[in-house]
Amino acid sequence: MILLKTNYGEITLELDYEKAPETAKNFEQYVREGFYDGVVFHRVIDNFMIQGGGFDVDMQQKPTRETIKNEANNGLTNDTGTVAMARTMDPHSASAQFFINVSDNNFLNHTSETTEGWGYAVFGKVVAGSDVVNKIKGAKTTTKAGHQDVPVDEVIIESASVVEADSE
Amino acid sequence: MDYLISDLHLEENRPDITGAFFSFLDQIESQASRLYILGDFFESWIGDDENTPLQQEVKARLTQLSERGIQLYFMHGNRDFLVSEGFEQETGAKILPDPSVVELAGQKVLLMHGDSLCTKDTSYMKFRAMIRNPAFLKTFLARPIEDRITTARQLREMSQANNSEKSMEIMDVTPEEVSKEMLAHDVKVMIHGHTHRPMIHKLVLNNEPAQRIVLGDWDQKIWFITASENSGIQLHEQPFPAPTTS
Repeated sequence: MILLKTNYGEITLELDYEKAPETAKNFEQYVREGFYDGVVFHRVIDNFMIQGGGFDVDMQQKPTRETIKNEANNGLTNDTGTVAMARTMDPHSASAQFFINVSDNNFLNHTSETTEGWGYAVFGKVVAGSDVVNKIKGAKTTTKAGHQDVPVDEVIIESASVVEADSE
Repeated sequence: MDYLISDLHLEENRPDITGAFFSFLDQIESQASRLYILGDFFESWIGDDENTPLQQEVKARLTQLSERGIQLYFMHGNRDFLVSEGFEQETGAKILPDPSVVELAGQKVLLMHGDSLCTKDTSYMKFRAMIRNPAFLKTFLARPIEDRITTARQLREMSQANNSEKSMEIMDVTPEEVSKEMLAHDVKVMIHGHTHRPMIHKLVLNNEPAQRIVLGDWDQKIWFITASENSGIQLHEQPFPAPTTS
C-alpha cells in the first residue's frame, strides 16, 4: 500500500499489481525514489477528478522516467475512488502524473485499442482517507502559470511512502 | 451569460462526448442564464418514448439545470427532429422552431440548425420535406418502437452511403440561401450548426457588415458560443476534459 501524506491529511492507496502490473510497479518506483515528495495536486475539478504527481509547489514540472504502456484494457473502470494514470493524447504516454476519480467517469474507460478509445489506466484505489480526497476536490481553484483548475491553497504531497499491509 | 451549442451527436458508444458535455455544464452552470441547443444534440431520437439509459441520464442533467433557473432551448437537427413535448415536459426545455430570431448580446440573431441552408443537396432537401411532413411524423410515431428503431437504422445507413459520394461543396450551406434568410429576418448575425465547419464568416448584406457564425461538432473538441452585453458574441473551442499531461 502507498501512504500519501498531504497537507490536507493522509490518503492510503492500494495498488493492483495483478491487473495493472506495469503501472503499479512504475508508480511504486516513483514513490520509492521520493519523486512525489513535495509534489502537488495541480488540477482539481469537483465532480471529475483530482490530478497530481507532476509539478512542484512553484508549478515547475519535474523530469520523469520513460513513459509506460497503457494498461487501461485490464477491465478496471474509472469509478469514484480509483486511481489512474494521466497522459497526453498518445495513449501510451503516462509517466508520473496520476489522478483520483471523484466521480464515476465512465467516459475515461477503455473501449477500443484506438487513440480515442484507449482510455485511462486504473491501477489502484483509495482504501483510506476518502474524506481527505473529498476535502481536496472541493478546494477553491484558479489559473496559475498557464494551468486551469489549480488550487488557490496548494495541495501538497509532503511525502509518499510504501507501507507494508498489516498481517491481520 | 447565454451559451449556444450544437452537433454533440450524443450516443451510447461515445461516452467521452457525454462526459465532456456534463463537465461543460458543470463549468457554465454558475454563470449561465440561457442555453441554446441548436440540433443534432442526439445522434438519433425515434420518439420521446424510447428513453434509453443515455437519454435518461441527459434528461436528468438538463432537468437539474432548469431547476436552477437556467432556461433551456432546443432546436431540432436532422437527427433529432422527433424530440417532442414529452422531452419538453421532462426537462423544462422549450422547443424553438427552426428558424427563430432571438435577442443575444443586445442584438437580433437568427438561429437555425443549418440543414435547410444546404439547398444544393437536392436529394436531402426532398427527404427533409418528407420526414418533416406532419402526416408522415404522426404515422411514424404511431408505429411500435421496435419498428421505428429498424427504420431509423436503415435511414442512417442510407445516409452514410450517400454522404460518402457527395462532394464537400454540396454538403456546405448555399451562400445565397444564407443571405436570403438573413434579409428575410432582418438580422446582421446568424448562428447555425449542422455542417461541422466551425467558423466566423464575415459577410456584407445591403452594404452593411454581417456575420454568420457556425458552431462545430463535438467529435474531437468542445465548441460553444457565448453571448453577453459585455463581451458580445464569441465562438470558443476547448479540448475534451481529460486527465492530460503536457
